[in-house]
Amino acid sequence: MLFLIEYNREQGQLVTIKSFADSERKKAEKMRLQLELELNLKDIENEVVLLEAETEQALRRTHRRYFEDLAELTSVPA
Amino acid sequence: MSIPELSKSQIDKLGSRLRKGDINEDDLRLLDSYRRLFTAAYEEVVGRIRNELGLEPTGRPAKSTTSISEKLRRESIRLSQIQDIAGCRIIVADILTQDEVVGRLSQLFVGSIVVDRRERPSNGYRAVHVIVAHSGKLIEVQVRTALQHLWAELSEKLSDVVDNAIKYGGGDEQVVTILRIMSDNINVQEVGESELLRTLSENRQDKSVEELDQENTKRQDILKQKFAIVTALNAIGEVLPRLKGKKNVISD
Repeated sequence: MLFLIEYNREQGQLVTIKSFADSERKKAEKMRLQLELELNLKDIENEVVLLEAETEQALRRTHRRYFEDLAELTSVPA
Repeated sequence: MSIPELSKSQIDKLGSRLRKGDINEDDLRLLDSYRRLFTAAYEEVVGRIRNELGLEPTGRPAKSTTSISEKLRRESIRLSQIQDIAGCRIIVADILTQDEVVGRLSQLFVGSIVVDRRERPSNGYRAVHVIVAHSGKLIEVQVRTALQHLWAELSEKLSDVVDNAIKYGGGDEQVVTILRIMSDNINVQEVGESELLRTLSENRQDKSVEELDQENTKRQDILKQKFAIVTALNAIGEVLPRLKGKKNVISD
């Protein structure tokens, strides 16, 4: 699956996440560009990134920073 | 529809504009075209990792505009020289598995370059990167242990919400010190654990009492290091309220 992420770095917060099937790569790439153009027009400096993972759960494990705040990242696993 | 190749001069002029933060719609479109040139190589490399090694990397077909611009500002590098436009990440349990995965990747992609940042970390960042060249494009495969990954995520997040300089060894001194100590503790713990696992895999019947004692000492050392890592995590948790006053560090 592909995931198009918009992330506010300053706030450390995920703004939007959209998922696409593997067969929709072209569509996902097009959406990424569209989103970047829209944000540029509005002068919003959010990070836009397209990621690929088997599941959203896998993505949340390898890219925790987009999904968790510092308190969650520093919490000691039981 | 095929994407036309861009000249090196076109790419690097675009890089100069990204460095200055002076970009318009045409630049974003041009950068998009440039990044798409890596898609075929990315798909081939990630596909082979999945199909031939049975691993499940998380892929990033194209580095974000924000990350590219920051890298250009931070380093005296041209856009055409950036090695991690496209790549993927593999998280493994420990150093022994990391070594094994890196070995398998090197065998699969003959001629790939291994950048081992475990002994000599980059501002505390420890991992092994395998740089694969395919059809003239470089694809970066990051191989991290779970603890190296935790450290990297923490460092990135602190850079996002506290100070972008933290990731590169700058910014709040207390935070940088905690991160550095934590990175060192992780390394000592992981190296110790891998040595112990190697020893344990040997035939126990032949071992002397002294050797068994040494194993126990190693076990205790590993536990101590694990405790030190947890202490570092707690220490970051403790400085959060102070950092919170500076920026939006933590959601309520």
